[in-house]
Amino acid sequence: MDEPTPATDRPTNQFGSLNNLAHELASLEDLAIRGSWRSIIDKVSRTRSLNLLTSPHDHLIYLSYNVLALSKLSRFADASSEIDTLDDFNSHYYKYETYPQLYPNRSGSMIPFSLRFIHAQLPMKLENRQEGLDRFYLLLKFIREKIKEKESDNLHDSVKTWKRRENFVLNCLIGHHLGDKEFNVCLDLIKDLINRDYLDPVLVSKLGCIQMQIGDIEGAKVSFNRVEMMLNEGKNDGYSFLSEVQFRNLVNRNKALVYLVGKDYVSAVREYEECIERDHTDVVAINNKALCLMYLRDLSDSIKVLEKALERIPTIALDETLFVPGFEVRLIAEIVQVLISKDGRDFARL
Amino acid sequence: MSTTPQGIHSLAFRVMRLCNPSFPVDPPFRVDPADLFFGEDMFDDPLLALSPLLSTHLSKSTDSSDMSFADRYLLHHPSDAMGFSGLLLLPQSFGAIYLGETFCSYISINNSSTFEVKDIIIKAEIQTERERILLLDTSKSPVGSIRAGGHYDFIVEHDVKELGAYTMVCTALYNDGGERKYLPQFFKFVVANPLSVRTKVRTVKETTYLEACIENQTKSNLYVDQVEFEPAPHWSVTILKADGLLHPADSLTAGEIVKPPILVRSGGGIHNYLYQIKLSSSGSEQLKSKRSNILGKLQITWRTNLGEPGRLQTQQILGVPWSCQEMELQVLEIPSLINLDRPFSVHLKLTNLTEREMGPFEVWLSQNSANEEKFVMINGLQIMVVPQVEAFGSTDLYLNLIATKLGVQRISGIVVFDTLEKRTFDPLADVEIFVESD
Repeated sequence: MDEPTPATDRPTNQFGSLNNLAHELASLEDLAIRGSWRSIIDKVSRTRSLNLLTSPHDHLIYLSYNVLALSKLSRFADASSEIDTLDDFNSHYYKYETYPQLYPNRSGSMIPFSLRFIHAQLPMKLENRQEGLDRFYLLLKFIREKIKEKESDNLHDSVKTWKRRENFVLNCLIGHHLGDKEFNVCLDLIKDLINRDYLDPVLVSKLGCIQMQIGDIEGAKVSFNRVEMMLNEGKNDGYSFLSEVQFRNLVNRNKALVYLVGKDYVSAVREYEECIERDHTDVVAINNKALCLMYLRDLSDSIKVLEKALERIPTIALDETLFVPGFEVRLIAEIVQVLISKDGRDFARL
Repeated sequence: MSTTPQGIHSLAFRVMRLCNPSFPVDPPFRVDPADLFFGEDMFDDPLLALSPLLSTHLSKSTDSSDMSFADRYLLHHPSDAMGFSGLLLLPQSFGAIYLGETFCSYISINNSSTFEVKDIIIKAEIQTERERILLLDTSKSPVGSIRAGGHYDFIVEHDVKELGAYTMVCTALYNDGGERKYLPQFFKFVVANPLSVRTKVRTVKETTYLEACIENQTKSNLYVDQVEFEPAPHWSVTILKADGLLHPADSLTAGEIVKPPILVRSGGGIHNYLYQIKLSSSGSEQLKSKRSNILGKLQITWRTNLGEPGRLQTQQILGVPWSCQEMELQVLEIPSLINLDRPFSVHLKLTNLTEREMGPFEVWLSQNSANEEKFVMINGLQIMVVPQVEAFGSTDLYLNLIATKLGVQRISGIVVFDTLEKRTFDPLADVEIFVESD
């Protein structure tokens, strides 16, 4: 591995370890990986009060971790207030060239991109969807301008990075429109993504799921067939995101969905079992199999499937986000405990 | 057999609404580490790309066999940002149920006692104001037994076609250590209307236009799949679309591109449809004689979880009432200058649209039903006699009128009476005239 020649400015010095990038960054990162968000907030607070952060980029990185941690703890208003303490992101205060003593030979924005993302997503969590959408679309515009700028300066790595960010924001937007059943926009955005220079089986599968949601079963089958063809033709190069096992499971899960919507739950269960056999950590297959068993009137087996999964994958029991299967386990287990009053109350609120 | 007081039953029913599951969507706060460690423009520096740091951390983010919390913070795959994994969930609560949907419920009967329960006859019935529908009856094949702590499950379905309060009554007749017991349990829910449909009908010559406005009365966005107009016999319908293309409503062939879904927003969002309805030529004769003006019905299909359809039909939509088309009375000429209190002549033409000779007729000006004073009346003999008119023929009439008030006045209520068949044809529509002074 070639060591880059040491530059005199700190952030790019060697890029050897995280701690070169910012004060005790390795520790922050470690806490984040372990999901210890409260510890991150404590650490940030302590570090700030001890005045250990000396440069602007240190402050920004710490602020970013703090805001992320607050968001993870669902303290969205606090996260928002913290971001509001900053100037406009494009202000010269956050540009390297404003501090030539600290960052000689370096220019550009030192704002960590995640901050822009969190800033756009927070209003969604604070019941201000329109503001959130506006911020996302403005962010998209900002990214596209950056891409053009970097392309004209022939900064290839930077272009790649900004294109990745463009992809990321588009995916966020699809998610937000999907949440509000704005299927037309989702379909347009997804098809736009798919038609770009790569074919992504995960994305095409998600397109299939959306088509299924709107009742376009034939369209969904076309999408799923495309994914299966990609698997058979070994079109996974350039796409190191999916392992062979994950790819096969994806195809099985897509098949299962078609069976499920056609109310052929037995065949759906069979497909999911193949997935679980191949990869016992496939939580989507586990959850969906349990669901099918419910439709087959087999509540006991359904609960067993989920309980077994809980034993093997303890981390899924925590329901930090809505779609974590732990929630589903509770849902089904609670059915057995639910008592409906005999004089006729409303159906169980589970 | 006794209906034992509450609390002494070994068995109890537990229910859960079972509709199609849905994909929960929740875009998460998950990031790429490169977007956190570095300023966003840092990648302008080509040396950064060579850093071993990046490859270490990148591999961590894509290692999904690591079932730690890392995957809640880092993105495995770019589309993780969507927050949509393909995982299916049943709704958290009963939710709202709407007319046109299918009610489906998982019912579990549970033996919470310490002994076996035998010979269980289970019934499930839906009761509304108007009817009782049996959903399940195990009398022909009773459930043999349920062990202590055990349960027996079943799933029932019912298409919801009535608004208002519903009660699902689940009953169990069972043997509980010698005594035969009867357990009734009641589960209530209310069915609401998801949509309201407003229609407007306009007729222009031989063509009728139907404008339908569909309003979403639910609390979430509704995805309307199809709105089809089913015409009554002898009518044909064409849906009119804004892009100027006319699509015959029933000619969507298989394999044609599925129409994009139409989103109707929650709490009052609307979508409008326009149809052009024409009488097919074979039908016109029969219809005209029957004076039927039923145009047809609208059939609406929408989608809920995972494409599950809901269906509603409107009542018969009526067209504009037929004016009698056997005889047609037209105003051909009115003098341009009409003076107060001076007689003037109006030239009319009476046409026989039938294939047989009609008449003779009498023509007069009728009194308004509101008994308003008329300012335009016939001058002279109040009833004009018109001889027979041959089939498909016409005759000219000249009505001598006089106006007794200045300004804009109406000639209203010209009636044509068939003296042979003793029938009145609908009065001619009002004609406006301007009365000037001498």
